[in-house]
Amino acid sequence: MPLVTADNLVKKYGELTAVDGVSFSIDEGQIFGFLGPNGAGKSTTISMLSTYLPPSSGDALIDGFSIIREEHRVKQIIGVVPQDIALYPTLTAMQNLRFYGRMYDMGGDELNDRCRELLELVELWDRRDSRIEQFSGGMKRRINMAAGLLHHPRFLLLDEPTVGVDPQSREHIFETIFKIRDSGTTILYTSHYMEEVELLCDYIAIMDKGKMVAGGTLKELLGMLGEGSVIELEISPPGCPAGLSRQIHQQNGVTGVNHQDNQLTISSKNSAHSLPPVLKVLEDSGCEVSHLEIYTPNLEKLFIHLTGKELRE
Amino acid sequence: MKQLRRLWDITRKDLLVISKDKGAWILLLITPLAVILVASLALGPAFNGQLKSQLLVTNLDSGVIGKQLVDGLGATEGLNVVEASADETMALKVGDTGYKTGLIIPTDFSSQILTGSDTDLTVYVDPNDNASRPFMVGMISGAASRLSGMVMSVRISVAEVLKFAPDTEPTTVAVDAAPAAVKEMAKEPPVAMEINNATGMQEVNMFDTQTPGYAVMFLLFGVMLGAEGLLEERDKGTLGRLIVAPVSRTSILGGKLAAQFVVAVIQMTILFSVGHFAFGMNLGNSLPGLSLMIGITAFTATAFGILLASVVKTRRQATSLGTMIIILSSGLGGSWWPLSIEPEFMQKLAHVTINAWALSGINALILDGKGFSDILPQAAGLLLYGIVCFAIGIRMFKFRNA
Repeated sequence: MPLVTADNLVKKYGELTAVDGVSFSIDEGQIFGFLGPNGAGKSTTISMLSTYLPPSSGDALIDGFSIIREEHRVKQIIGVVPQDIALYPTLTAMQNLRFYGRMYDMGGDELNDRCRELLELVELWDRRDSRIEQFSGGMKRRINMAAGLLHHPRFLLLDEPTVGVDPQSREHIFETIFKIRDSGTTILYTSHYMEEVELLCDYIAIMDKGKMVAGGTLKELLGMLGEGSVIELEISPPGCPAGLSRQIHQQNGVTGVNHQDNQLTISSKNSAHSLPPVLKVLEDSGCEVSHLEIYTPNLEKLFIHLTGKELRE
Repeated sequence: MKQLRRLWDITRKDLLVISKDKGAWILLLITPLAVILVASLALGPAFNGQLKSQLLVTNLDSGVIGKQLVDGLGATEGLNVVEASADETMALKVGDTGYKTGLIIPTDFSSQILTGSDTDLTVYVDPNDNASRPFMVGMISGAASRLSGMVMSVRISVAEVLKFAPDTEPTTVAVDAAPAAVKEMAKEPPVAMEINNATGMQEVNMFDTQTPGYAVMFLLFGVMLGAEGLLEERDKGTLGRLIVAPVSRTSILGGKLAAQFVVAVIQMTILFSVGHFAFGMNLGNSLPGLSLMIGITAFTATAFGILLASVVKTRRQATSLGTMIIILSSGLGGSWWPLSIEPEFMQKLAHVTINAWALSGINALILDGKGFSDILPQAAGLLLYGIVCFAIGIRMFKFRNA
């Protein structure tokens, strides 16, 4: 049973449509990833789910509560870790956590115990009395995450939580996310780093220009590029003989061929077996190869395949 | 009840944040105290009559009347006579020291007067000295008038003497009578002024006049800082984090404004207390009245802060627009000089400013010795001003960046 169901969410700013009819569902205990370049609509979608922004149309239910009509109930269930370091720099880590805890009616020993638990989780208990302004970028990110977890949210929204952090802090953050997932919290994770969503997410939704262009498990998504490996060739002249694709498809191990202009993308179970006969076919057809690349399918290549542009553009 | 507790938690957190902000305290307290001190010490002698105007005098007359005129001017309150050569007086300069006014008494001044002829005093002025020129010319003109009156009296007396002793030489009579008449008039003028204290108040010192004006001005700078802080919270995401928590927007804004109000009251109270205990500033006859004015001024300033935060898009805009409004309203509203010296249309226009409303009440208490009930109209006007700003500000404030 899904904990979150988004139904045709739309967010418009005047003429600009930031999110254009996005629908998805997230099962309880799942880490759901939104992958897309900056400006794809990931943060706007999170903002709508967190009740920060009202949708222009559409709705989403979180544990059965509407983000539009039952905003107050939704706020009790969700925890938000914004992309910005939303902390008070002159206050200590403990003072920040206590303040945000009180916003969820926590207090006394319950709050103190929870602050300690979370500071230990993010491995900053020893620095509890240091001011946030004295922390490194990665440490700030970890406190930023802890502040979103104080009230034991069932659904945690993490908006690019690793932006600008060093590799060591990134590892810390990943470990923390796995621990949170293991405690039963459902997570929505946005990033424009494909390695992160590949590593962390059970289900990945790819967004571009406000739309969800693909969604599935990592295996399902990579399957869209075929099995095994991919051989990509740039050939000339562009107008190669008709029936070239069919001829290549018949070669050893080839499972799929896509021919557009001078670009030839071939899926193969085993590129070492498929490549020699493919090159022979091209030579016999009078085509010259100006560029050749063999790679294992990944989300970066899938994104290019789906949108025609680089993920980090 | 829960929302009220959250409002209080937000207020406490903001007070904690402000208490750790050294820059804020410099603007809220150190700067106004320094400005009040400098302004009071610099302007005090001039306003309290301790600063004497300098008059260069060249007396070419060898007679008694010229000397008496110089002595008379020298005895004038607020005037310091410096004797100089004719060249120095004409140049308004003795050595490296420049002067603003000079007077030359001609060689035959006494004899001309005694023989019944008209004579001239020559006055040299700096045309750009608008501040003291009217006073100096007035002083010299007054002394000349007194001399003229004396001469007329002597002439009438001589005419009366001649009626009974027609063979007497008129000049001899005048020469004998004039010095005694001049000395007599210098000693005790026939018409004197009696100066009385109409209000029963002590004489004001410069801290009485400077402290309220600068306190209100820096109070506005303080709330401008608060407005910038609110926008900073919006920019940095801490406001957004509160919006997605189960906290009402009323509690968020209420908590932040309550903290700003508390800081404003503390700021005004400290400035007035330091003024009173350290510099002997008069607090008037009604502490409840002063407390009321401080409270309402702090509320209205806080309301101005939220209005400022609601009409600008960025912190930089808040600083630019806020500074412009505060500087203009301080000048117009009487923070830097008494509102009463402004032209009438500006005095009316001044009531578009918080400064004018606040200072009309505070000055009525401190300078005019008015009581609690006397300042209620000013307090009500200021409160209404604050309520209007508050209502517009709350309605227009955007919790999210566009």
